[in-house]
Amino acid sequence: MSEPIIFVDDLHKVYRTGSVLVRALRGIDFEMAAGEFVSLMGPSGSGKSTLLNLIAGLDKPTSGRVTIGGQVISDMDEATVARWRSAHVGFVFQFYHLIPVLTAYENVELPLLLFNMSAAQRRQQVLTVLELVSLSHRLTHRPGQLSGGEQQRVGIARALVTDPMLIVADEPTGDLDTHTSDEILDLMQAVHESLEKTILLVTHDPRAAGRAQRRVQMDSGRLSVETEALQIDNCKLQIEN
Amino acid sequence: MIIANCKLKIDPVLKFLNLFLKNLGRNKVRTTLTALAVIVLVVIYTFAATVTDTINRFFDSHSSQSRLMVREKWLIPSCFPIRYVPKIASVSGVEDWTVWHFYGVFFDDAGHAGAGIATRIDNLREMHPGLENLDPALIDAMKRERTGVLMGQRLMEQMNWRVGQRFSVNSFTHPGKNLQFKIVGVLGADAWSRNFFFRQDYYREGVGDMDDVNIVWLRVSDVETGKRVAADVEHLFQTSRAKLRAETESAGVSRVASRTKTVINIINFVVAILLIDMVIVLANSISMTVRERRVEMAILKILGFQPSFILVMVIGEAVAVGAGGGLLGAGLAYAFTWLNSAGQLPFRIDFLVEFPVPAKFILHGFVVGALVGFAGSVIPALGTRKVRVAEAFSDAG
Ligand SMILES: Nc1ncnc2c1ncn2[C@@H]1O[C@H](COP(=O)(O)OP(=O)(O)O)[C@@H](O)[C@H]1O
Ligand SMILES: [Mg+2]
Repeated sequence: MSEPIIFVDDLHKVYRTGSVLVRALRGIDFEMAAGEFVSLMGPSGSGKSTLLNLIAGLDKPTSGRVTIGGQVISDMDEATVARWRSAHVGFVFQFYHLIPVLTAYENVELPLLLFNMSAAQRRQQVLTVLELVSLSHRLTHRPGQLSGGEQQRVGIARALVTDPMLIVADEPTGDLDTHTSDEILDLMQAVHESLEKTILLVTHDPRAAGRAQRRVQMDSGRLSVETEALQIDNCKLQIEN
Repeated sequence: MIIANCKLKIDPVLKFLNLFLKNLGRNKVRTTLTALAVIVLVVIYTFAATVTDTINRFFDSHSSQSRLMVREKWLIPSCFPIRYVPKIASVSGVEDWTVWHFYGVFFDDAGHAGAGIATRIDNLREMHPGLENLDPALIDAMKRERTGVLMGQRLMEQMNWRVGQRFSVNSFTHPGKNLQFKIVGVLGADAWSRNFFFRQDYYREGVGDMDDVNIVWLRVSDVETGKRVAADVEHLFQTSRAKLRAETESAGVSRVASRTKTVINIINFVVAILLIDMVIVLANSISMTVRERRVEMAILKILGFQPSFILVMVIGEAVAVGAGGGLLGAGLAYAFTWLNSAGQLPFRIDFLVEFPVPAKFILHGFVVGALVGFAGSVIPALGTRKVRVAEAFSDAG
């Protein structure tokens, strides 16, 4: 395993809705190595999505810092962090979040429109990742014409197409049946192994979490236990019983 | 995986066109209805603007305050002794003058008619609005050709005549006094298109009318002089057998104008309200679109698209629908009036024949549509800046 590239220092996040303050993160210290596959588990409302958003540069912490590849993400202004994000982070969502009027091909191409690439370069890149997620035969289908599993493959292809160093996935199997979930998780594992991507997977499904090299547990805005990979098998057994 | 050297650069170019067009096609019914509303509005706008424009141009061309018309006070058509003319012309303040003798004719048995005006040729251009740019060579030609006429364009087209041709007429104002003419030239496009001008000396001797004149025109330097000259002329003939009436051209016109201008103001007011109405309809439609697409916009932001891109995208869609509808609406109005005038429609709306939509109004329609699209989308588009990326996760557990 390589050097850590993601550093999270004493991260706090307080949401304010009206007069109500919600302390979503209460001092998180966390590191990830380049090429590491980490899963983040915890009950609903424990702050998983909040942490993921802060690491991916989607939101600003109330205090603390996020450093990725030597750059302090949490200090960047919005336009800068947006540019950084489009180059370095790929997102996979629970509800796929594809643009319904665009074809699978066009959805995957979308993030590349922000780059200075020729149409031919874009095309090659898009076809490569769609091949990777085994959807070369669905290029002209729109999301509505694809199954949930296929849509999530398109979502993963879109996350991969810019060749980001970090992939974040927030409950990517939350809306899929067990069989399809397994296929998606197989795909993510393959992506991790063959492309050596750093992956942060948020889930509350222990089976999904078990695919990661390292499991991190969250509770009420704090990291509780870090579970080592060895315990995965136990977890699987528990589910199957 | 091979990744090209990804240099970040956001330039709004053709590659975004696809996303843009697909968004327009997203809700085809709504886009169509919105475009239809713009089309109807712009058709109304175009007709109203044409009427307003036509009437305004008419008044502008007749509002020169420096011409006076002198006529017999009671007779229609006016007619008074030609020996008055030197007296009238010598009233102080008169800079130039001319006379009119009416000579109404049939050109053929089919009833094609024209209104002939016998007048002074030497100052024809100076004394007749719309003839200022007439070729001076035609004036010279008229001086050489005693039977010469300058024909209105419509008459030429109607009779299918050529310059140089001779013709004889059958006068209904002077029965039995039928003159022969030679066509010396054609008058410019719009002005006097159903009239023909010929020499006063030819008229007087040819018809044998040595005593009378129908109208005298005077040119004065300004409005105030015009009022005084008019009073002087009327005063001069107060006790004579034929009493005269002198008025600035615009006095007659402005009586009609003040009433017509009120109507025009009402039309403009109604059109303005329709435009505002349209902006509201469009703003509503765009707000609905924005509301439905908030999550998508959050996704675009997450993928790295700048808020300004989303802003431009929303405004661009509205402007495209507005401009497209505007172009189509004005184009339809244009095509309709021209087909109507040309008798190419199964029916004919006579009133519209007087108000042909000028081609430049197609561009106006395009611009009005685009502006309505812009005005209707600015507020909803600014609203997209409040879309937070967290909205993409709001359903997540
Ligand atoms: N945008 C927000 N505004 C206010 N409160 C929020 C917002 N996002 C999350 N929260 C609150 O922060 C806490 C953590 O939420 P979240 O990170 O989404 O948890 P998880 O993803 O683990 O379910 C919850 O109590 C949630 O209600
Ligand atoms: Mg969550």
